Amino acid sequence: MPPTPSIVERPQRWDVAFDPAMTDADVDRLLAIPPFSNMPAEKFSKRTPLREILRNDTAIRRYRKGEIVVRQGDYGTSAFMILSGTVRVVLKPDLPPAMLGRQAPSKKGFFRMLAQLWSERRPPESFQRKQLRQDAGLGERRDENEQVRVFLQDLPRVLDKHRTEEMTAGDFFGEIAALSRMPRTSTIFTASDEAELLEIRWQGLRDLMRSDDQLRKHIDRIYRERALASYLRATPLFRHLTKEQLDELAKHVEFASYGDYDWSGDYKRLAKAGSVRPEKEPVIVQEGDYPNGVVLLRAGFARVSQKFGTGERTLNYIGAGQLFGFDEIAHNFQKPQDPVPYQYTLRAIGYTHLLIVPTRVMEQFVLPTLSQKELPALGGASSASPGGPHARLSTTAASSPSATIDGDTLEFLTANRFFNGTATMVIDLDRCTRCDDCVRACASTHDNNPRFLRHGPSSGRLMVANACMHCADPVCMIGCPTGAIHRESFAGQVVINPATCIGCKACANNCPYEAIRMVEIRDERGDFIVGEDFRPILKATKCDLCVENWGGPACERACPHGALERMNLNDLESLADWMKR
Amino acid sequence: MSRFGRQSFIGTFLLLVASAGAVMAHRRWSQELPNYAYLSGWVLMTVMILLALYNMRKRLPFLSLGSSEAWLQVHVYAGFFTVVLFLAHLNFRMPTGWFEGTLAWLYLLVTGSGIVGLFFSRVLPRRLATRGGEVIHEKIPALRHALRQEAEALALAGSAGSVGGASSTGPYSSVIADFYLQNLHEFFRGPKYFWPHLLDSRRPLNALMRELDDVRRYLNEAERATLQKLGDLVRRKDGLDYHHSLQVTLKLWLFVHLPLTYSLMIFSVLHVIIVFAFSGGSR
Repeated sequence: MPPTPSIVERPQRWDVAFDPAMTDADVDRLLAIPPFSNMPAEKFSKRTPLREILRNDTAIRRYRKGEIVVRQGDYGTSAFMILSGTVRVVLKPDLPPAMLGRQAPSKKGFFRMLAQLWSERRPPESFQRKQLRQDAGLGERRDENEQVRVFLQDLPRVLDKHRTEEMTAGDFFGEIAALSRMPRTSTIFTASDEAELLEIRWQGLRDLMRSDDQLRKHIDRIYRERALASYLRATPLFRHLTKEQLDELAKHVEFASYGDYDWSGDYKRLAKAGSVRPEKEPVIVQEGDYPNGVVLLRAGFARVSQKFGTGERTLNYIGAGQLFGFDEIAHNFQKPQDPVPYQYTLRAIGYTHLLIVPTRVMEQFVLPTLSQKELPALGGASSASPGGPHARLSTTAASSPSATIDGDTLEFLTANRFFNGTATMVIDLDRCTRCDDCVRACASTHDNNPRFLRHGPSSGRLMVANACMHCADPVCMIGCPTGAIHRESFAGQVVINPATCIGCKACANNCPYEAIRMVEIRDERGDFIVGEDFRPILKATKCDLCVENWGGPACERACPHGALERMNLNDLESLADWMKR
Repeated sequence: MSRFGRQSFIGTFLLLVASAGAVMAHRRWSQELPNYAYLSGWVLMTVMILLALYNMRKRLPFLSLGSSEAWLQVHVYAGFFTVVLFLAHLNFRMPTGWFEGTLAWLYLLVTGSGIVGLFFSRVLPRRLATRGGEVIHEKIPALRHALRQEAEALALAGSAGSVGGASSTGPYSSVIADFYLQNLHEFFRGPKYFWPHLLDSRRPLNALMRELDDVRRYLNEAERATLQKLGDLVRRKDGLDYHHSLQVTLKLWLFVHLPLTYSLMIFSVLHVIIVFAFSGGSR
């Protein structure tokens, strides 16, 4: 008898609303005020009508005076519109780290390091009271939905010491960070006694922009003004352009996002089912198409692949700041009589935000400013590269260092999304004697608490251990209600402040690599610390890259055989060098 | 030249230069200097203390004392250098007396165990990476226990179709259960074939697989499927044993090298005390 399938209701986009408490009255209220009152309902598709977007992708949040709405440096998935009241954006100087729920960067002194000789005897995961004490400038409360809100205790002092700017009803903020997956650029807090803010999750914002020209133009203008100009100025390809040329370029640059913003959840599910497949990744550029622009990756990652047999093989992956398609366009500019199409396919991995500089803009403004040396070498029709007559054109693929890494390893790194790691723990199994000196060193450095597992997926002689990779795209930082998990301002490590961690597990659930552990903490005697409800207090723990210690990560320094390295896997050249060392 | 190649080249070059220097110094000064034995002895003792300090470095990973890899390189080449210093201190002659003899034997054992350890640490990891998957040593007993339970369940069930119920393709005999008791029970009980695994011999596994193959002729189709599964478990258990054997070796040699080192250091200090106590003012 054939097996009977389990039948369930097909999942729909709005099965779970952003805020289930949104009522018809709330939606009617929103539809009555600009900009929603000016949005023509007929412009929205039948699948995503305006009313449903507002009902399912937005939430009305009420903040009290001094409450922090967004923190500088945090990653967020939503934008805000002020409905009533006022908020203030901190301009200069920035609020100190402790006031944002973070640890002030510091290194251990010699005597504190030496004290680790005897502090190792402390019970596991034990904390002193002072380690759990928050900054005096911060307060914490729970709102009506039991969500934690952090507020500034001494608002007049903050206003006195920091230059701020007021934003009032109708103003938008947080849209660039939400759409481009970049860190928030400023801290914003409530200035009036009460403020009502409409929080719009990125999917809703995207659909609103898609259907409403006014909003799209508004966000487009803000993006070009606040983010694009400075980014283009910092891009090496455009360094010869004058300010006027850069302004002109900025007018013509297009931007786009591909993939799933919340990729980590889906990825975890697919990885468990063993069904992570490149074919399911959205195509940004198709091999063989006319090269209509140079693609600049602003955030996220993309896979460069080429047809091979009936499938595709991965040749490289590229991350933020890297280009695709430049070689083909440069070639066509130099040899218009022998044009070539895109040589490779580019697919978004996870979520990718990118800029596209159209070919005619490249030919008009950029290519004439480059010297012959800066233009890529021309690939002739006689080239015998495996990908066809012009296969060696692109610097992002065949001629890159990835060509020296075998295909299996590259597929392994891409399928497991290890390219995200800026300090991935890689172990050479041909050299590793399994002595666990690295684990002991980690435990010694962290009061007898090892912060990683010397085990993980492997390919050939390369193993990627289960340790925080300090990702370029740190999805763990999305949704932390107190800012406890944050990037260290000095070297960019992702660290957790135990004093402000409330044990909500948001970071551990978000991490696609299972690198964050929730632990029940103890006091110095070894007794579990519990809350008023007698339930244990949880804290998130993970590798902090020995941020407080001198000399770098203890695990790496402790390996006697040079088998372990903390590596930026987005830099394949380093990996290639390390593999053949 | 690769990084490891460059390291080896520089280390070997420095070792040869230092050794040549030590031999030349011995030739020149062993006859000229009346206290040459003291000089060579103190140099040897200093280098031995440097070697022993490596263990201290390992115990203080939180202090910024340089990478363990660099320390090990110094440890290895300085260790080889002590051979020349040791022979020079003995004046290239056999030691006399039981104390000096014991001291010399301890030195030889420490050096020998160090060389064996170096050999293991260069050869065994490569082999571990090629067979038996990657497994944490502490987890081996639990994994072995799980395999044993799986194997016993298969043996008791008699055929694949009858696990947890009656076989639809029966009747089935007790051949597999008997075979398990006679040939596999001991195998699954604990780690086996330590030395063959260390020597990279597959003879015990091949013999077991041959025995499994021999018994096939007495089984029906369902029982053969069970036997096939048992064979897979045997291979997995063999992989675990392989890892156990090699990982234990990689860990245990230190338990030989370190106690011998401590003994050598104690004897060396005694040697210094005795020399100074009985020198009778000759220095």
